[in-house]
Amino acid sequence: MTTMDTRPSGPPDEPEEPTNRPPSMHRVRNWLKRPYAKGIVGLTILLGILLLPVAWLILIPMRATGAPASEIMEGIEQTVFVFTLVSVPIVAFVYAVLVYSLLKWRKYKGDQIPEDESPAIRTNTIGVVLWTTMSSVLAFFLVVWGLIELAQITSNSYGTISADQQPGDEQSVIVNVTGQQWVWTFEYPQHDGVTTEVLYLPKDRPVYFNVTSKDVIHNFWLVELGVKIDANPGAITQTGVTPNKLGSFNLRCAELCGMHHAYMETSVEVVEGETFESVMREMGGGRTA
Amino acid sequence: MKRVLVTVLTVLVGVGIVVGVGLFSWWNEREPATLTAEVSGTMQTPQGELPHAQLELAIYPSTSEKVPGPRTTSAMQSDLLSEQPFFWPSSSIEVPANSAVTITFLQYGGPMGQIYNDFFAEVHGTMDGTMNWNGKSVDKIKATEATHTFTVHQYPEANESEFFLNVPLPINDSKAKMDKYGYAEKPQRVEVTFITGDPGKYVWNCQFPCGDMYQEFGGAMQTRGWMGGTFEVVA
Amino acid sequence: MSTETITQTATVFGDEVPQPRQYGKPGGIMRRLNMGTALVGGIGLAAIAGFVANALVPSGASTVTFAPVAPDIVYLAILVGWTIGFSVGIGAFVGPIRWLFGRDLTHADAEYMAGKDLGVKRYFKFTTDHKVVGVQYLVVFAFILGFGGLLAMLIRTELGVTWSEVFSPAFYNSMIGTHGIAMIIAMIISVMGPIANFIMPIMIGARDMAFPRLNALSLWLVVVAALCLVSTLFTGGIQDGWSVYQPLASQGPPAMLGYQMTIIVFAISTGVASVNLMVTALTMRAKGMTWSRTPIFVYGIFGAALMGLYAFPFFQYSQIMALTDRIWNTSFFNPLQGGSVWLYENLFWLLGHPEVYVIIIPGTVVLFELMPVFMRKPLFSFNFAVAGIVGVVALSGLVWAHHMYMTGWAPAANYPFMLSTEMISIPVGFLVLVVIGTMWRGLVWTRLPIMAVYAVIFNKMIGGVTGIYLSDVPVDQYMHGTMFVVAHFHYMLMGAGLFGAMAGLAFYFPKMTGRVLDERTASIGFWTAFTGFQITFMAMFVAGLQGMPRRVLQFDSLFNAPNWISTIGAYIIGLGMLIFAGAVVSSWISGDKAPANPFGSKSLEWQTPTPVPLENFAVLPVVTERPYNYGVPDPYEKELQEADQDLHPEEVGSR
Repeated sequence: MTTMDTRPSGPPDEPEEPTNRPPSMHRVRNWLKRPYAKGIVGLTILLGILLLPVAWLILIPMRATGAPASEIMEGIEQTVFVFTLVSVPIVAFVYAVLVYSLLKWRKYKGDQIPEDESPAIRTNTIGVVLWTTMSSVLAFFLVVWGLIELAQITSNSYGTISADQQPGDEQSVIVNVTGQQWVWTFEYPQHDGVTTEVLYLPKDRPVYFNVTSKDVIHNFWLVELGVKIDANPGAITQTGVTPNKLGSFNLRCAELCGMHHAYMETSVEVVEGETFESVMREMGGGRTA
Repeated sequence: MKRVLVTVLTVLVGVGIVVGVGLFSWWNEREPATLTAEVSGTMQTPQGELPHAQLELAIYPSTSEKVPGPRTTSAMQSDLLSEQPFFWPSSSIEVPANSAVTITFLQYGGPMGQIYNDFFAEVHGTMDGTMNWNGKSVDKIKATEATHTFTVHQYPEANESEFFLNVPLPINDSKAKMDKYGYAEKPQRVEVTFITGDPGKYVWNCQFPCGDMYQEFGGAMQTRGWMGGTFEVVA
Repeated sequence: MSTETITQTATVFGDEVPQPRQYGKPGGIMRRLNMGTALVGGIGLAAIAGFVANALVPSGASTVTFAPVAPDIVYLAILVGWTIGFSVGIGAFVGPIRWLFGRDLTHADAEYMAGKDLGVKRYFKFTTDHKVVGVQYLVVFAFILGFGGLLAMLIRTELGVTWSEVFSPAFYNSMIGTHGIAMIIAMIISVMGPIANFIMPIMIGARDMAFPRLNALSLWLVVVAALCLVSTLFTGGIQDGWSVYQPLASQGPPAMLGYQMTIIVFAISTGVASVNLMVTALTMRAKGMTWSRTPIFVYGIFGAALMGLYAFPFFQYSQIMALTDRIWNTSFFNPLQGGSVWLYENLFWLLGHPEVYVIIIPGTVVLFELMPVFMRKPLFSFNFAVAGIVGVVALSGLVWAHHMYMTGWAPAANYPFMLSTEMISIPVGFLVLVVIGTMWRGLVWTRLPIMAVYAVIFNKMIGGVTGIYLSDVPVDQYMHGTMFVVAHFHYMLMGAGLFGAMAGLAFYFPKMTGRVLDERTASIGFWTAFTGFQITFMAMFVAGLQGMPRRVLQFDSLFNAPNWISTIGAYIIGLGMLIFAGAVVSSWISGDKAPANPFGSKSLEWQTPTPVPLENFAVLPVVTERPYNYGVPDPYEKELQEADQDLHPEEVGSR
């Protein structure tokens, strides 16, 4: 049996079309040859680059008053940063399609009903699979990051420790926070029960908060330290923090609690450990535990 | 043309309604007229010699013909608050900055009960940490002995100077004589002196459950002009 | 053997149907009942109930907590009297009462109730024609939206005047609470009211909804509820935010009862409407309209109705329990007497979360309906649209406690709720995919409805991403209770929800009103509102990130600049919405008469004449095709096939 070479061949001085590329690359290259494909991919990359700085910009207002002042807040900032970065590609792609559609696919105006000219695409398996995979991977990543971060913050907040298990040792400070319409008061049981309306905290020492309310629901929010927990009547909620920055920070009530909810704000003074002890002594509470 | 006209009309009507309702609400909800502390002479204080201002506030347990009480925004509110206590003559208080201010409280009556948090049964923020109660100097009273408080606390402004004042106001003796309006003939007299810092805005409210509803913190306790108001330190 | 005295028949679409005896003129007592008699009945019974309650309450009576009993009881009596009086006065009970008395409604009665030959008057009566109910919903929606918008302008004025309090704190708190619940009610009915009622039966080839009288009832109950809500401004105001957390609500003025009655009545309305929409979608589709030939709008409305049906009762019960706590001293939510504040929060958010999907799903599926028309190509991936809706509905009931991350009620529960909340982003993402896919390579006919879709998707992405932040517990530890949350939900509910509803209404305007919408003026209004929206809420994100809490009227001077910007933006929104409203009103009154199918849609609802006749279709249609049959075969498809052949020459010939 004779063999005939029936392969297509171009002019002798031109290389032949390669036939050993895997089919998917062939298809991707062919797809990219389409005018809109190049446009949308290019726009996605451009918008992605433009949107990327948001991850840094978003932290600027968060730091306006001296944040972060604890590891919890640092973790929160990191999470915001990473989540923004990870959301940029999908937002960029969606916006790229919107922009490209507005730039290149607008065609008809006015009252006359246009001819049917658009391709009747009812589905595109590759597109759908790609989108589902990417969004699932993204969601999965966010979940895993979030769960790990949550476990870390819970441990940094000493949040799983109940009041009777809080170490009453030399290092740690226990504060009983009472929210009440419309003033916060703080009692230091280890210091003779000294009660203040300004929150004093020692730097670099663990602080345990037992938070409750005498009347309605308030929310104990140490803004720059990233601590937040509801103050519920009839229940005590626990949280904690180790402040790692000196300064005067803000405590705001973050749950509507009546007429003077907006005015239920006080300051958080993070001072050196010795300064903290002397402040407590000045107010009449030597260290008893 | 007609289209433009109708659109412009809609915009004007809409803006008019917003402005009208806004102005009416602002006028209806206005705070009582300011009560300013009168400066008269100077006073020796731990911070040196400072101008001395004085102010008198009365607390009545309910409205009456003698003391009609603060202006209410509706008939229903009058109905709801007529049996509730209020500060008189005004809840909008103005004191001078960098001065020693003396406030005299005349407490004509209030309900029995207990301050929920002993912190507010103590005197905080006065010049020497005490208050003068009917001639005696005390730095706290029993939580069950109080019937109102005067508590000044911060505006949500981090740049303002800190200011916190808490004056517990004792209840009248159960055997005290009352006049026909339900007011004590001899009110409890409490005098406090405190030093003001730089100008700033603050608010005050009562911390004793002398209103009604849940925890007796409703009613007058949540109404400006009655048991809460503004406290401004002006230059 | 006695024969029945029923001898009449009526010709109903060509069939002779035996009728009960006609007592009096068709319509009976319905002939005399309309909005006027309803108002008389409502106000009258309210006044009587108030007087009776006042007389019955002992003078000077006070509760255990020293509150005067009379104002609460009298106000509650007034509200109940108003509800019953208005409903009786509008004729809501005519059907059941006549059935009780054995005087069943005849076909002529039913035709009267459907507003046959009544002209404009039928819009002011208890009319069962779904088209009339749809238009009535549109007007009610506009009024509630306007009421909420008025409050928004006042709120922003207070927040913009940073150097002093414009209104007292209590009044400010009641403005934000009332604004919130008014807008929520408006948004729930924004698409499910006008569009689902008017368009959906025609879209599926039916003559009306499954339960026409319940349809009219659901609308008039919204009117009753809305007026209960307005009355709260005159009885002290809802000073507790729209979520009315206990126990703060039990310190509130009698207006809290107004809120509770509003929700109790509104929940009945939505329950009734949900059942109606679901049964209609299930049982009244035309012959040949299998599920794969059903427009996606029906799926979306079905899903939203299902969510509303299972979720609203939680809200209703929570308000009934709050009401008994207030009036009868029960202690469901009173922690001093053994109640639980967390119980209230759970009950509330069990509705509170599905409810935002009740708002956003109809807003999205109406875009799915209009996009194929203006892109002249089919909806992309119908199956994924269905999957998205099913996914959202299924997960909607599993995510509620992400509003309670910071309450401390069950710290261990934060983990699974974070998981479910992140998961729900996937079906929502499918819905975005469908929009993007439909937009892909579609040649756009740049009319207002489709141009609005760009605005909606732009906002939806921002709302979605910021929602992702909030779904993460550590981030929520900073963001909860700040203006960041407020900006997020405004992006979703207003930026995607309201603007989507406006797109849908612009699309269906010719069919519903018989007039052509002045798109130039409406576009100016729309884009002005859009611009103002970005200014307002982008600045609000900044304020939230800086640490500004929610529901505060005075704040740190650090937040002054973002608030000034937000206030200016809000005024621009107000201006834009007023211009849009002006365009709608002027077009409705004096616009050009609309042709039957101005957009060349292939959907059933556009195949009817305009104005749509009472029976919708002279002959019920039979459906034989898939929906969205637009477009031409993809030229690249042929190219792909040829490229495949090039690559596999052994299939062409062999060596």
